[in-house]
Amino acid sequence: MDRRTFLKRAAQVGAGAAIVGAGGGIGGRLLLQRSRRPWDDSVFPPPGRVRVAVVKAASYQADLEGIVLAGLREVGAEVAGRSVLLKPNLVEYDPGTAINTDPRLVAATVLAMRRLGASSVTVAEGPGHRRDVQYVVAASGLLDALREVEAPFVDLNAAALVRRPLHSRFTDLRELWLPEPVMEADIVVSMPKMKTHHWAGVTLSIKNCFGCVPGRVYGWPKNVLHWAGLTEAVVDVGAAVRPHLQIVDGIVGMEGNGPIQGTAVPAGLLVFGTDPVATDVTAVRLMGLDPSRVPSLVAAARFLGQGDPDRIHQAGEDVERSVVDFAVLPQFAGLRAGAAPGAGGGVDAGPA
Amino acid sequence: MRGDPHERAAARLIAARSGLGFGPRPGLPPEPEPTALAAIALDDADARRWLAENQRGDGGFALVAGDVVSDSATALAALALPPGDARERAVDHVLTHRAQPLPANPASPHDPDLRGWGWTPDTFGWVEPTARALLALHVLRPSADTAIRDGLALLADRECSAGGWNYGNRVVLGVDLPPYAQTTAAALIGLQGAEPALYARGLDALVRLWPAERGGLSLAMALAAFRLAGARAEGDARAALAEELDRTALLDDVVALAWAAIATGPGLETLRRAAP
Repeated sequence: MDRRTFLKRAAQVGAGAAIVGAGGGIGGRLLLQRSRRPWDDSVFPPPGRVRVAVVKAASYQADLEGIVLAGLREVGAEVAGRSVLLKPNLVEYDPGTAINTDPRLVAATVLAMRRLGASSVTVAEGPGHRRDVQYVVAASGLLDALREVEAPFVDLNAAALVRRPLHSRFTDLRELWLPEPVMEADIVVSMPKMKTHHWAGVTLSIKNCFGCVPGRVYGWPKNVLHWAGLTEAVVDVGAAVRPHLQIVDGIVGMEGNGPIQGTAVPAGLLVFGTDPVATDVTAVRLMGLDPSRVPSLVAAARFLGQGDPDRIHQAGEDVERSVVDFAVLPQFAGLRAGAAPGAGGGVDAGPA
Repeated sequence: MRGDPHERAAARLIAARSGLGFGPRPGLPPEPEPTALAAIALDDADARRWLAENQRGDGGFALVAGDVVSDSATALAALALPPGDARERAVDHVLTHRAQPLPANPASPHDPDLRGWGWTPDTFGWVEPTARALLALHVLRPSADTAIRDGLALLADRECSAGGWNYGNRVVLGVDLPPYAQTTAAALIGLQGAEPALYARGLDALVRLWPAERGGLSLAMALAAFRLAGARAEGDARAALAEELDRTALLDDVVALAWAAIATGPGLETLRRAAP
């Protein structure tokens, strides 16, 4: 699928969404504004060909350090001598579910980064739903996992802030106040869980950047961003954080009513990349969904990274053969690869 | 370090001081929420001075980030201030800065006629900021009938199906959301016996929830809610909080430390609603 096809499909989603009424929320607003170019070209040069690696990992008991090391090398990650901040997804904790990036993967990534020569490795998150960060990081097992590898955790909801003017304007927000540890890290690694999302369709490395937005300014669960327009905010926040590396945890993902109440999917996959759009496009394809039907990804592909699958060099496993169909809520049936245009493009997001 | 949990929480809190006030973590500049809570926890004159010096022209206390004005700490600052003009202006701010209404939405059902309070005044009403505002009005301006009724109704509207509260919604896309200990405790602290049936269901929920949610902020707010209610769970929650202070020092989260010092000390009486 080339860029023209990608954008044509995206336009069909927009038109279809407008027709299906209640199902038109997420696509309509964004895509009807396609004539706008709400970003600063000088900050976002056109992407070239990029490399994404899809690596199998059967379980969290596998040699994750070795697998992560190989994946990072496959995409040419350069971290030697640089400070690295890992941003996993820990939006919430509920025992026995697959909500969060697995702590074992996070700890293995800490070790892999050190082996690649990182000068420091910090793990940071600003949970979106829970104010009690201590509960989330302790109950999820992250705190113990980090203790074992002697890595620090930073609560991004309570960190020092720096002002960051936005260079994209899909929302009316002109600037964001973001945590200093994120803005000052040489390398920010977005480590999302591979999940469907009941308002946004999917949540991957770009949406994961919401956890960098401090709750003490923007509320829990980051209400100001929801109020500004969820799809638009996903794009603006992703462009502001602009993670240098991405590692998508699809060893066990979540389908259906994600990001909290969905069902675990043992997909056995990790996705590595250096371009958040290309990484998310690949992950969406692996989920059996069509990236050209995910409005935030379509918008991000206009300026933030490479969205054309033909210009993404896929290393590792073959994407088509590795697809694990993730179930979606009926209102997102239109995201399914091969779905008829207009078949459910989402719902108007609620306040959460 | 062993000993009285109030002394331990207070000592850790004092060590986190930043000038006159308190930041969200040790070493960070003062902000309204941690400073207001520390002022209550420690009965601290310097923290009150910082609040007085940082009250905005509109009476509010806010963390301002460009166009975003996060003013939900105003209710806590009002409770921390001594009687006088500054406190009255803060309460006036609470009354005049309610949340924005949101049209009915079948995806996340709620009563669109209720406002409540948000984390920022230009967003939707949420459980914790509404509970804070309700607490300030119950304690400092019980005559504000209309606003108090709105806050009570919002908490009733957002109650989870089995009692207690999630952060804001009770149902999303047809699925009941679970209650959390911390948000349930916040709502109970705001209610303090108002709407007795709602309050009782919330207390039952908190008794069920707190043993499994042993984060410092959850434990501290649960203990505060139990003490205000005179609930039997107070003793166990206090012991669990003491254990957590020993084990993690609540990760030096200043808001959690301040709530721990409030929950275990005399500062809690500042938050007690007078018998109606």
